[in-house]
Amino acid sequence: MKFLTSLHILVLAFIISYDVKAKNQIVADLSQENVKITTDFLGAKILLFGAYDGQKGDDIIVVVTGPKGLVTVQKKEKVFGIWVNTKSVNYINTPKYLNISSNRDINKILNQKTQKISEIGLNNLKIRLQPGKKVQKEKEWREALTRNMLKSKLWSLNENSVSLNKNALFRSYLNLPSNVITGQFEVKILHYRNSKLISKELSTINVSKSGVSAEIYNIAQNYSTLYGIFAVILAVLVGWGANLIFRKV
Amino acid sequence: MYIYLPIAEQPIHSLAILGVGTFLGLIMGLVGVGGGFLLTPIMMFLGIPPPVAVASVANQLVAPSVSGVLSHWKRGNVDFKMGTVLLLGGVIGSSIGVVIFNFLGKIGQLDLVIKSSYVVFLTLIGSLMLSESLNLILRKRKGKVSRGKLHQHNWLHGLPFKTRFRKSKLYISVLLPIFIGIIVGILAALMGIGGGFIIVPAMIYLLGMPTSLVVGTSLFQIIFVAANTTILQASQNQTVDIVLASILLLGSVVGVQVGSRFTNILKGEYLRLILSTLIILVSLKLLTDLITIPSDIFSVIISR
Repeated sequence: MKFLTSLHILVLAFIISYDVKAKNQIVADLSQENVKITTDFLGAKILLFGAYDGQKGDDIIVVVTGPKGLVTVQKKEKVFGIWVNTKSVNYINTPKYLNISSNRDINKILNQKTQKISEIGLNNLKIRLQPGKKVQKEKEWREALTRNMLKSKLWSLNENSVSLNKNALFRSYLNLPSNVITGQFEVKILHYRNSKLISKELSTINVSKSGVSAEIYNIAQNYSTLYGIFAVILAVLVGWGANLIFRKV
Repeated sequence: MYIYLPIAEQPIHSLAILGVGTFLGLIMGLVGVGGGFLLTPIMMFLGIPPPVAVASVANQLVAPSVSGVLSHWKRGNVDFKMGTVLLLGGVIGSSIGVVIFNFLGKIGQLDLVIKSSYVVFLTLIGSLMLSESLNLILRKRKGKVSRGKLHQHNWLHGLPFKTRFRKSKLYISVLLPIFIGIIVGILAALMGIGGGFIIVPAMIYLLGMPTSLVVGTSLFQIIFVAANTTILQASQNQTVDIVLASILLLGSVVGVQVGSRFTNILKGEYLRLILSTLIILVSLKLLTDLITIPSDIFSVIISR
């Protein structure tokens, strides 16, 4: 089944590619635009594919950015023999998901300056410290942020993961881990020739909680007291029921 | 089979959780205590965030307590008057506990407080149980089982508001059980426990209640303390994961019933020896986590 879908996609992409050649542009599609977090959610793998009007030596970079917001970095210190969180730094405008993929090393595609300007690369993000707070050795904190986000798989850098075919088709996989945050994910597909951007395509992925899992979450947030009472009643009933069943055994 | 926990926001193996629930229910049925104070650390070891573990375990504790009380009630082993006085204290205490819980969460020290209170209490209870059961085993080997004094008079009996508890054959101040209730309630809310392992010794040694009534009465008050904690945690902190609690409680109610059937077959002191060893091991694991150098001294919190 999976094989058939990929084949289907390839054929489709070939047809599209003729059109692309004429207009000097890039077209892309995703195997899944809506990711639903249901009770059996274990993460998602999304196929990103498309066609571009390419020449030999062209490059593709894909940047997927999740919702942005506050991320706090905490630092532990030893206090009376115990490791305690003693300091914290807040970063605002931080993407809670980030995936950068390319067909080869980004440093070979773009120079440092261009990377910085176009916000490509883990250290070129426009992440800001929460205003009004002075931080010593800020670099250490910023590095800790990147390191921890990479460890949690919420950020990833996958150079050499975009596969190109006949200078016309590209394909890449995107992994959303099970701890992914809900919201709008922006997908940017950039086509470079000799370090110059010649075409780009934008798309979005919607990650949302769905089904029973979403219902429970919403009730717990919006009707929290009622939810608590219901949780207790459920437990009482199960306890009582168990007693009835086991009395007869 | 993995299941996504809506509040903990992560998938977990449902059979593992069911197994843990059953195992701890079994211990609870066999020994009368030991549901929450082992369950919460195990949940934390499995990667459930401590605040969610604490609140959900409080929720699940209601079920085995209800089914436990019903069987003890049938045998006439519940002092409802004493239980009511205790639970009054317990409800006050657990309400205070949830407020403290909320505050600690805001200043970012909740995990530390939960873990270190576990280390302190588990070490304390574990070593007490261990020495008591070893003593008992040794004394039984020697062939003399001496009984301690049943009733002792001390300053606690001089407190005002004395009340008669007919069932327990006690005439003591209500302030004492209320005070015990408050302390246990605070700990229950902070640590996700019913507080059986504190209240049972307190009832025996501080109140001087007959041992036969202790387990049933403590379970009776645990229902209300755990219920109060669950509702407050849900409304104040939104940390009760009903899916996690449901799987745990299904396992634990079965475990309790099976366990209570074997209480007469297995020897109590050997059981306590095993349990106390388990408690000390869990406490050691938590302690090592707190004192060893973390692999990364930095960590991130992603606000949802």
